[in-house]
Formats: sequence, C-alpha cells, structure tokens
Amino acid sequence: MTLTSQEVASPETQLTDLPDLPGQPDLLDLPGRVAAVAAVAAEHAARTDQEASFPLEALTELRRTRLLGLLVPREYGGLGGTVADLVEASIALGRADTSVAMIFAMHCQQTEAVVRHGSARLRAELLPRIAAGQVYLASVTTEAGKGGHLLTSQASLATAGDDLVMDRFAPIVTGGGHADGFLVTMRAPGATSPSQVSLVYADRAQLDIQPSGVWQPLGMRASHSGALRLTGTVPAHHVIGEHGQFHTIASTVFGPLAHLGWSACWLGTAAGALSRVLGLLRSPQGRGSTDLTSELLLTRLSKVRQRLDIVHALLARTQQTVLDSTDLSVPRVQLQLNALKITAAELCHSAVDELVTAVGMRHGYLKGSPTRLEQALRDLRSAALNYSNDRLHLADGRLALLDPEVRFV
Amino acid sequence: MDARFTELLTPFLKFLGDREIEADSSLRDLGLDSMQAIELLFAIEDTFDVTLPDDDMNDATFATAGSLWQAVEAALTAQGVAA
Repeated sequence: MTLTSQEVASPETQLTDLPDLPGQPDLLDLPGRVAAVAAVAAEHAARTDQEASFPLEALTELRRTRLLGLLVPREYGGLGGTVADLVEASIALGRADTSVAMIFAMHCQQTEAVVRHGSARLRAELLPRIAAGQVYLASVTTEAGKGGHLLTSQASLATAGDDLVMDRFAPIVTGGGHADGFLVTMRAPGATSPSQVSLVYADRAQLDIQPSGVWQPLGMRASHSGALRLTGTVPAHHVIGEHGQFHTIASTVFGPLAHLGWSACWLGTAAGALSRVLGLLRSPQGRGSTDLTSELLLTRLSKVRQRLDIVHALLARTQQTVLDSTDLSVPRVQLQLNALKITAAELCHSAVDELVTAVGMRHGYLKGSPTRLEQALRDLRSAALNYSNDRLHLADGRLALLDPEVRFV
Repeated sequence: MDARFTELLTPFLKFLGDREIEADSSLRDLGLDSMQAIELLFAIEDTFDVTLPDDDMNDATFATAGSLWQAVEAALTAQGVAA
C-alpha cells in the first residue's frame, strides 16, 4: 500500500494541528482531551445503550482530540503517551461509558502492537494515520471452534506472490463494523501446527467485510461486537512481528495492555457509579429522603469503596510491574497480571451490585435513574467473560505449579 | 541432547510427525501447550531426578528443545547428577 503525501501528514504538521482545548497546559493535555471525549460519550450513552449502536459521536471525538494516537510516538505525530496515560484515560472514560472506554483501550492495545512489532515500513505508513485520527483499529482474535484460545488459529494465511491472502471469520469483533483497520490473527503461511500464529494488519479498503448475525447483548451494548467475515489481500510487510510468532506479541503487548486497560475501564465504571450515588445521597434531595446515619448504608458504602481501592491498588502495582519487568513471561508476573484482570472483573461488578442494594429499587434498579447503576451492572457483567476468568484461573493454576516457592513481584 | 530427553519429549509434540527433534525445534510450534509444559516438567524431573529452578520457568526455557535441554543439563550439573 502506498500513501500519498496528502494522506500521511508530516509529524510537524500533526503537532501544530493538535486541537486547542481549554486549559491546555502542555502538549499532551491528557485530562482536557479525555474530558472532551467523556462529555460526548456521556451525552450519548443512554441512546447507544438503548439502541445497541456504536458510539460514533465519541469515536469522532476520539479522532478529533487525537486520543486515538495516544500511544503513537511523537516522531510519527502521535501524543507519545505511556501505559500510565492509557490507564488514566481508560478510568476516566469508563466513568462516562464502559463501551467507549473499552473501544479506546483495545484500540490502544492494537496500536502498541504496531509500534513495538510492526515493520519500519508499516509503522511509517500506518502510525501517522492513527496519530491523525484517521484509523481506528479493531482486533480480530476470536475464532469459531477454538474456545476463545488466543494463541491458536484455525484459518490459514495463503500467499499470492508477495501478498498475503486472508479469509477469516470471527464471531466477535469489537467495533468491527466501524473500524478503519484490523489486526487479525491467522495461522502463518505453511504452518504445520495451529500454534504458529501470525498477526497481520489489514486496511478496511483492502477487505471485503461481511457482517453476520445481530448484536443484541445484555451489556456493553455500544461496543457493537458482532460477527464478521473478512476476505482480502494485503502486502507482505503487513505482518506484525515474525510469521508464526504472535505468542511473543501476546505475552509482551496484548496480554499486559489488555489486562491493564480493561481493568482500568471497569474500575472507572464502578468509580463513576459510586460517585453518582454519593452525589445523589449528598444532594439536598438525597439528604432529605435518606437516613445518612444508617449503619447499614454506611457499611455498604464502605464495602464498595474498599473494593475499588483494592482494584486501584492492584492496578497501580501491576502497571509498575509491567514497566519494570524485563521478562513478562515468568509465572509470578503472569500471575499478577491475571490476578488484576480477575480481581477487577469480580470486584467492580460486585461493587456496583452492592450499590444497587444500597440505594434500592428506584435509584439502583430502574433504567433512567441518574445513578445509571442498571447499565453499569449490565456492562460489568461482561468483565468476567471478556477473556474468561475461568480460563485465566486454569492458566493460573498451572502457573502456580511453576512457582512452588510462591514468590511475588 | 540426551536420547532419553528426546524420547521423553516426543509424545508431547503431536505435530512432530516423522521429523527428528533438533536443538532448534520450536516446542510451541510442535504442539507443546502450557498444560503439557507442566506435565513435561514433571516427566523430566522424574526421569532425570532433578528439580529445575523456578528461575527457569519462562518462555525462553520452553522455547526450543535445545533451550529446555540446556536448563536440564544445568540442573543436572548443579545437583551433581551425571547426565
């Protein structure tokens, strides 16, 4: 794929073109950019949840604020953000809308794979477009018949001259209907086993995309994660990392960033829910209708806050571990990453469930309550299923056997 | 690599086919998954009467037949067991 000079703006142009946001203290101005997206996400959250439609307005704002390029290095015109910035932004967006936060976090995870493992040519072609807000990336790792196993693939890449030919069905592709590009796992050309998996970038323009089925889930309705069949041809340099070596990207980028990013989204969702409940309870109306000295209510609020502090502490600790570790494949590091994901999924969901009990039928259970607990609870129900906690517990049991001394990071 | 080692390894590599196990044979590509890695570890420890140190429990050790054998050999030497 060759891009014209109009399509690839120079990094200098990107930096001077960054949108002016109120109170911009520095170039990154993460809080300002995130607040702009969160405001748009919150404005449309009720409708996109009701319709199970993709949050197009929030995506437009993610493009405008250049947050799609948060993890793109500045030399490519990106914001040059860090994993800590990703976590901070995901928490903030999660407070507004879990679906938007998850879409954003997963896009950043895809971006990081290109940054760290893409060929020089692919990085030069693709990263400036991501930085400019032109390319929203979706991940295609799910596949029928492999039980959600990330590290194997059934469908094989074929070759035609120097090109790679793909024909790939995926039952769940978050945001697939609106993505501008896809990172797809497929069996490497000439692979002799299902674990020789390659990661390949495909531009929407290079694909024929056939959606199938309907998207009618319990929660995460705005993530629009329906089924797609992708067919098309991409140039050889679109392989990310070496052919057959996707497991390296999985353990160094996909796993760590997914667990950090998702946990941040869920923590944000639960924190937003608690904040709205506290706002209600502390309002003149709330103080008039609720006994704030109720020991039962205070105890419940305490338990909710405690769970969020546990998740927050583990998130911060794991973030530091990822930053400090030279080998993320060792059992104690993997165990901590998995513990973060499992703990965040369980405690954020149970915290919101507790809040529903605390404030009762009208403010907790009914749609339309300003606490939005009903939607938060539905959204967070997916957390344990999103790369299943059951699967992670099985992996952790095996990893525990490999660390008989029980050493912590 | 010790013949006992390659013999022990063979049943764990379901995609090996008729090929010989070489030092650079990728265990993952030949079908070793994380559950089997545990069973393989136990089989090695039983067969050679060694314990691989916790520090060897990483992707690099289990990457190829050669890298795994190196870890086994180092453990044998460290524990004074003749290979």
